[in-house]
Amino acid sequence: MSLLQKLKNSVRKRSIHVSFVDTASCNGCDIEILACLAPRYDLEQYGIYVHNNPRDADVLLVVGAVTEQWIDKLPMLWDKIPEPKVAIAIGNCAISGCVFHRPGSYTDPPVSKHIPVALSIPGCPPRPDEIIQAILAVAPIAFKDYEKKL
Amino acid sequence: MTSLSAYLSHMLRAEWIRSFFLVKTKPLTKPAYFMDYPIDTGKRCTHCFSCMMICPVPDAISVLMVGETEGEDIWKPVLYQGHCIRCGLCVEICPERVLASGDIIERVRQDSTYMQSTFHILVNEGKCAGCGTCSIACPVNKEIDPILASKGTTTSDEVIMRVKAGVMRVLHEEKCTGCKTCVLHCSYQAMDVARVIECLQYESDDETSATNEGG
Repeated sequence: MSLLQKLKNSVRKRSIHVSFVDTASCNGCDIEILACLAPRYDLEQYGIYVHNNPRDADVLLVVGAVTEQWIDKLPMLWDKIPEPKVAIAIGNCAISGCVFHRPGSYTDPPVSKHIPVALSIPGCPPRPDEIIQAILAVAPIAFKDYEKKL
Repeated sequence: MTSLSAYLSHMLRAEWIRSFFLVKTKPLTKPAYFMDYPIDTGKRCTHCFSCMMICPVPDAISVLMVGETEGEDIWKPVLYQGHCIRCGLCVEICPERVLASGDIIERVRQDSTYMQSTFHILVNEGKCAGCGTCSIACPVNKEIDPILASKGTTTSDEVIMRVKAGVMRVLHEEKCTGCKTCVLHCSYQAMDVARVIECLQYESDDETSATNEGG
């Protein structure tokens, strides 16, 4: 591996751009994600930057059991993210549907049914440090030498 | 040219490079009192199914027979991450203290609280097709009548419920442990187990008599 490639990879490790989408959660996981931005956890010191527009992001954090209205919109949103990209399912709702996955409910969990999910963080809700650790763990693997994978 | 040199002199500062590549504070870790996923303490599980009964989430915990030693079955509660919401109720209710999570057991001992429960099996006769899936799925039934576990039919009247003359009959409601296995296995959503759970506290001076402090 050339020196330039090593430098590129180490910079990529410290430049992770995330965007998050709430496909109908109870708001618990959203609050935990917002807690990551606060000074106590301080996402940006790890090189994680949050964007409102998925076109600016590389990592999509998906929260919530997918409701009927999100079934066609979530893949559309996923397609808007430029390569390389990963999706992380946060919370039990995104992984299994949990309490919302019952007969007669208007949800269609899990998220992995609709978009490819690289990693899932269980918990109801997961702690902010669990979320940060997961993003930091998956991003270097996903973005390492990505131009050679094309 | 001046802008380029200004850019380089700004970006090549040791302080800037250090702050870019190094994290300022260590990542925070979970505190000791945090109620994480329950862990196995290694104590012997008596498969009373209390944890399955109290669990508010479908499919989050199941008590399984994992092996056998010296002719005795080994049972273990198995937790499913992605379903478990870490409420800690299974830890609190377990009479053998098989599970542990955070400082729940310590707090229960301090407050000297315990839980008491009664169950009512409700069968919606309009929906029930009399297929008997619930009586075959029931882990208590399987233990009472081993023939039911192996063959799927029973003539015993000691079981909690069974199909009699094409109709589901609840025979021994008092034997129910409230584990909700029948509710999850019913194809017609005809079963319901009403769980009445009271949280009680021992009187501080007398450890044997209990007073009702509300549920």
